[in-house]
Amino acid sequence: MSTPVTELLRSHYKEGFHDDLPIVRAVPKGLKHEVVDYISDVKGEPDWMREFRHRSLDLFLKQGLPDWLPGLRDEIDYNEITYYVSPVEKPQRRWEDVPEEIRRTYDKLGIAKEEQKLLGGLGAQIDSEMAYHNIQESLAKRGVVFLSCDEGLKQYPDLFREYFSKAIPPEDNKFAALNSAFWSGGSFVYIPKGVKCDIPLSVYFRINAEQFGQFERTLIIVDEDAFCHYVEGCSAPIYTTNSLHAAVVEIFVKNRARCRYTTIQNWSTDVYNLVTKRAMLYERAVMEWVDGNLGSKRTVKYPSCYFLGEGGHGEVLSLASADRGMWQDAGAKMVFMAPNCTGRINSKSISGRTGRASYRGLVQVRPEATNCRVQVNCDALILDEQSRSDTYPVMEIKGDLATVEHEASVSNVSEEQLFYLMSRGIKKEDAVSMIVNGFIEPIVKELPMEFAVEINRLINLQMEGSVG
Amino acid sequence: MNPVAWQRFLQLPMPSRHDVDWRHLDLRALRLERVEKRTQPARVTFRGQPPTGVIFGKLSGHRTEANRFLGKAIAWENRHKFVALHEALWEDGAVVLVPKNCRVTDPLEIHYELPNHDSAAFPRTLIVLEPGAEATVVQKYTGAPSLQAGATELFVQPGAHLHYISLHQLAPTSFDFLIKRARVAQDAEIDWVIGMFGAALGRYDIECEMEGRGGSSFMYGVGLGAGQEQLAQFTHQHHRSGDTTSDLLFKNVLRDRAVSSYTGTIRVEKNCNGTNAYQSNRNLVLSREVQCDTRPVLEIESNQLRCTHGATVGRLDDNQMFYLRSRGLNEAQARQILIEAFLEPVLARIRVDTVRREFEELIRQKIIR
Repeated sequence: MSTPVTELLRSHYKEGFHDDLPIVRAVPKGLKHEVVDYISDVKGEPDWMREFRHRSLDLFLKQGLPDWLPGLRDEIDYNEITYYVSPVEKPQRRWEDVPEEIRRTYDKLGIAKEEQKLLGGLGAQIDSEMAYHNIQESLAKRGVVFLSCDEGLKQYPDLFREYFSKAIPPEDNKFAALNSAFWSGGSFVYIPKGVKCDIPLSVYFRINAEQFGQFERTLIIVDEDAFCHYVEGCSAPIYTTNSLHAAVVEIFVKNRARCRYTTIQNWSTDVYNLVTKRAMLYERAVMEWVDGNLGSKRTVKYPSCYFLGEGGHGEVLSLASADRGMWQDAGAKMVFMAPNCTGRINSKSISGRTGRASYRGLVQVRPEATNCRVQVNCDALILDEQSRSDTYPVMEIKGDLATVEHEASVSNVSEEQLFYLMSRGIKKEDAVSMIVNGFIEPIVKELPMEFAVEINRLINLQMEGSVG
Repeated sequence: MNPVAWQRFLQLPMPSRHDVDWRHLDLRALRLERVEKRTQPARVTFRGQPPTGVIFGKLSGHRTEANRFLGKAIAWENRHKFVALHEALWEDGAVVLVPKNCRVTDPLEIHYELPNHDSAAFPRTLIVLEPGAEATVVQKYTGAPSLQAGATELFVQPGAHLHYISLHQLAPTSFDFLIKRARVAQDAEIDWVIGMFGAALGRYDIECEMEGRGGSSFMYGVGLGAGQEQLAQFTHQHHRSGDTTSDLLFKNVLRDRAVSSYTGTIRVEKNCNGTNAYQSNRNLVLSREVQCDTRPVLEIESNQLRCTHGATVGRLDDNQMFYLRSRGLNEAQARQILIEAFLEPVLARIRVDTVRREFEELIRQKIIR
């Protein structure tokens, strides 16, 4: 069933199709302890995980939303959502072994096998399960582990248990609890000491089912002196009902290691995207979050850096584009618990055609974190009179040895810039597009090439017809 | 007593650390029992020679003229507990009413000497500048009550120009809650300087409502915290009309175990094109035990505008200290110069010399000593 509005949206959002995939396994909709048991049974999990899931579901039911978070209170009917749907049996190592229907879906999305040449590893999740997960031979030989999270638990039970839920316990927030109860899929990554994994590991998340909740779980451990770049993308069909995506991503960057995590979020406008992402930084570790939010109905996501060891450096580059029907509630969090750490947050947002973009951030400096320095820059561009932009930063500083700076600005596409470009014979629409692209350039240049091209295409699409 | 407000006061819970706005503040030392029994009027003294036609005196003596405005600058609903307390229990205060096109050259000073010890006071101030009027009003609060919950309402009517200076200096045992709100009309201007110089806990809600084209508000504040004092500042720049300007600079210096919390909001409604709004909160921290929070918020629903904000927390710059020491100044002198330089941009906005000197002296006593 489609209304003219969804039809219109579909014409802009090329990932908005859905395929009729045969369902291998599914559960009845609703929040139930039986569903937890079913998932645990299907996956053949150890008892501690089953108990962890049950405890998390209880926590979810008990917990309220934080009072600083507006909305979401009555918007989602948790009992109308299906918590586990799988169109595949198990992840395949060879693309040829992935069921044909699913291969077709991924071909349409352009996640073709060719891409693998550019990547160190590729994972493809559809609904609750990974359909494909593979890593290049050369990386596997050096000890790099890149598995679906479920496989990680099976093959590396001790390593898994040592880190799992240690950065984000289910008590942390309501959506982390929900994920902890129903998690399925996602990646488990381990980079051994000193290994520089310089070709990116990439995962693509796809929701195909309707009124569905995707709860992938990612655990990344970058051991001492190692390096890893992890890239994720996502999309979903356009339905008239809402879906839920509540992921948890935990990253441990050990001494002198470096990790870069790039996200291009392009959910359809019926997906609630409520994600908790956190990195723990040990001595002189470096963490870089590159976070692009282009889709979804409402995104609530603040990638975080927790500085546990001396001399760490954290960076968050955040790009949000809020088009019609979207509220991008993005931002960043930095918590300093050790001396001599530095952080930088750079956020750019664009809102147009009734969209709303919010920056929400926290910088916290604990008394023991002496000589820390953090700088926050937020720039927002509002394209028209119907759109909205907010900035909600919080800075909590204890002690006299930190330097914290925050700057933000909100403006429109300036008449002078437009006039200049138009006086050079450039059409108004192209001129606006050039100005917007210039505005987001500092972040786009940090993206892998394919993503940068894709972002520019998406932004231009969102701009189409937005200038009168 | 206003029974509706009193009910509201009773029903509102005591703010706690779970409240985002009161997160690092401690109200446990505040005793609220039988607060209505402890109410005592503040002694008000007036200084300044206004021309004839200007109303300047106790509020109780000019109720007929004041009633048109009283209670209309502040929206009383959805406020914190102590605003409701003020609304419930206030009785008297001061009024300044400057008629149309009247220019008052002499600064008008209102000094509240608050009752000491186990007492509570709830003074209300009303300042109205009719169209085209000009005036400088200085407000001072001194004393050692256990509680003050006050309110100041400011009306700056079309084309009027108000220079408003307010100085708060209570004992380190006093709890001080003040709300000030200005309604700024077309082509009107208000220049604020607020000195927040002492209280066990001082919470200051300072707000301007930009209601007419061409209106402007320049809000400057200086806050000092020493010992275990707590300073909470809430500012609100609300643009309801386009082509309006609001600027804000709040500078705080904190030493010992002081706590400060700044929350500033710029809100621009729909159809307010041509708005210029700026906000800046700078904190200078002199001790390791200080807790300093800052939350600058922007909520923007128009697009033809320019809006920026900034916030910093930092200490005295080592290089600057070194430079001054290398010129032969001792450490205390070097610190004094740097602190005074830090606060200069706010103090420079005070256009009454005697008041500026008073600010400087208080800063020296409290922070530099």
